Amino acid sequence: MSNDSQGSVATSDDVDTRPSKRIDTESGNEAPPAPSTPSAMEYDYTNFYFGAGDDAFALLGPFDDWWSEVKPAGYYLYELPLHTAPGTRVDVEDTKTHEVREGLVNFASYNYLGLSYRDEVKEAIKEAVEVYGGGSSGSPILSGTTDLHRQFAEEIAAFKDKEAALIFPTGYSANVGTIAGLMRSGDLIVADQYAHASIVDGMILSKAKSRFFRHNRVDDLEKKLKGFEGKKLVIIEGVYSMDGDVPPLAEIVEVCQKYGARLMIDEAHSAFLFGENGRGVVEDQGFEDEVDIHLGTFSKSLGGQGGYIAGSSQLINYLRGFSRSRFFSCALSPVIVAGLRKALELHQAEPELRDDLWDNVAYMQGLLDDAGVPTGDSSSQVIPIMVRDDARVFQMGEEIFREGVFINPVKYPAVGKHKSRFRMSISAAHTKEELEEGANVIISVLQRYGICP
Amino acid sequence: MPLTPVTKYDFRTGVSAFFEMATSDAEGVLPEYLQPIEVRHQRSVLSVTAFLFDDPEVGPYTELMFSVIVPPQVARWGEHAKAGFFPFLAATSNAPARRQRAERFHFDYLDADIDAQFIETRDRLRVRAWGEGEPIIDFSVTPGAWEETSHILQGYTRDGDSRFRTTVQISGTYTVHENEEGTMKVFPHPFTESLLSQEIAPLPFREHWFKDGTEVFHELERF
Repeated sequence: MSNDSQGSVATSDDVDTRPSKRIDTESGNEAPPAPSTPSAMEYDYTNFYFGAGDDAFALLGPFDDWWSEVKPAGYYLYELPLHTAPGTRVDVEDTKTHEVREGLVNFASYNYLGLSYRDEVKEAIKEAVEVYGGGSSGSPILSGTTDLHRQFAEEIAAFKDKEAALIFPTGYSANVGTIAGLMRSGDLIVADQYAHASIVDGMILSKAKSRFFRHNRVDDLEKKLKGFEGKKLVIIEGVYSMDGDVPPLAEIVEVCQKYGARLMIDEAHSAFLFGENGRGVVEDQGFEDEVDIHLGTFSKSLGGQGGYIAGSSQLINYLRGFSRSRFFSCALSPVIVAGLRKALELHQAEPELRDDLWDNVAYMQGLLDDAGVPTGDSSSQVIPIMVRDDARVFQMGEEIFREGVFINPVKYPAVGKHKSRFRMSISAAHTKEELEEGANVIISVLQRYGICP
Repeated sequence: MPLTPVTKYDFRTGVSAFFEMATSDAEGVLPEYLQPIEVRHQRSVLSVTAFLFDDPEVGPYTELMFSVIVPPQVARWGEHAKAGFFPFLAATSNAPARRQRAERFHFDYLDADIDAQFIETRDRLRVRAWGEGEPIIDFSVTPGAWEETSHILQGYTRDGDSRFRTTVQISGTYTVHENEEGTMKVFPHPFTESLLSQEIAPLPFREHWFKDGTEVFHELERF
């Protein structure tokens, strides 16, 4: 304990009493010089989220001014238009130089099994267009459900080995509609702190009490459940989209059962990939029956669009009536559904696609490990390349892009401060040559910045 | 109208640890015209700061402050604050220092001296504070990458029915990260009594550490 009444730094022998520059303009003394203004790149989206005042448009001007400075400095790397299908090589428009960069090795798309552009899928889509036209023209509970939708829901239920399934127009609406459709004010939802925004938005819409447990920390989950009387829902993901790691299901299931909580898993990045039959992390870890709500998307491994939940007939029947995000949206286009049905058929007929994927993942992990590239705790096809340099991640991204690789930089607020990274998505369709070529470009840029030796 | 710098303080060390707190608790602390920023749904931000200032009039002193992070008022780009804060518990190690700051900025300080100690090691800065011999708080932060930086913030205070806002610019050698390596223990003490009943995360989700910097307060505005 300090013996004097002032603060002390224990490593200093004496208190430094050098004069400060406290100057009062009101008393006529000279004002201190105005400090330099922080650079635009020291700001981020979060600084323009809240704003006081009376004008609903008050943030638009300052945001626009900020954006005009930071976009050419790196933010332009988002929303770059592709001029090709999301294959293993893509042509991408460089909106800064207005050139189309051709033949980039693609590590940015979610097309994990390379199904989106398969000839069989395209043919199924063409056939459906002839029969159904472009859209479904109605809510799924009114006129938007076609025989294709009904058949596809049954096929998804059969694939997931569940009694029933419900199809949503997007993965986002599947989470929002399921969570807000089931939970009410006064209930408790506990989600992993890295849960996707659509899970969080569902929690907000439900008006239930919301808590978040530390990522994959079952002891913290237990703390958040303990002592709450009432309906409880725990929500986790199969593969966490920014880190590529998986949840410890055995321990989570045990805690949920101990406290009478229902368990929901979002397998957006793991369904159709993990497990002997591709039914997801629940199959891989052996807890298909212990999880109550199984959610997934069709935009990633099946290369299409939409989302689903699978579970008991009672659950699906209830949510058919209470999932507002589903029945107040237009049903998924039958053209998309036709492509998805074919993609699911190919997925089941060609299990070697998953073998190819895991072989490619192991190969890329080996290339990155050998070069000393930090990749976090990933155990999936999502590999975070941890550069942890918020100030220079866009510069690195720009160089990687210009040198032949399409990969997304990720920085705060999408991940924590100084946890910036490149998120690499591996596909079964990548050739070894493409993996090597892409890895060489990335490693070369990271070496220039001292990220790896 | 350009901001007018009014008062500049030099500091040797300044740390701030951000903890998640229940939004309902944050709303209970704030006046009705301020809303807490939520770091995630129903979770707001408690900032625990400790600064070691040098001042020619009152000598070196420590300031300990608990604030709720709030949205900044929108300003023109270039004067745009990154965040706002509403201090609701503040204390200093000597009376002249708190009189000076209370008069100038309408901060409501604990009317007693605290003792504080900054213990710096290579990988951690630990702050311990006492009031009348009893421990108040013991918290620590760790460094990430150091850089020279400057932050614009807005401080909100009140005095009776009067509402005040001031722009604060903090510059210096700085590090911030979200590696959850910091610690905090709040002890039962009259100063922290209101905190003990609140649902506050045991680990900081964000740790800030400044060295050898300046804190410039701009003109206090009524709003």
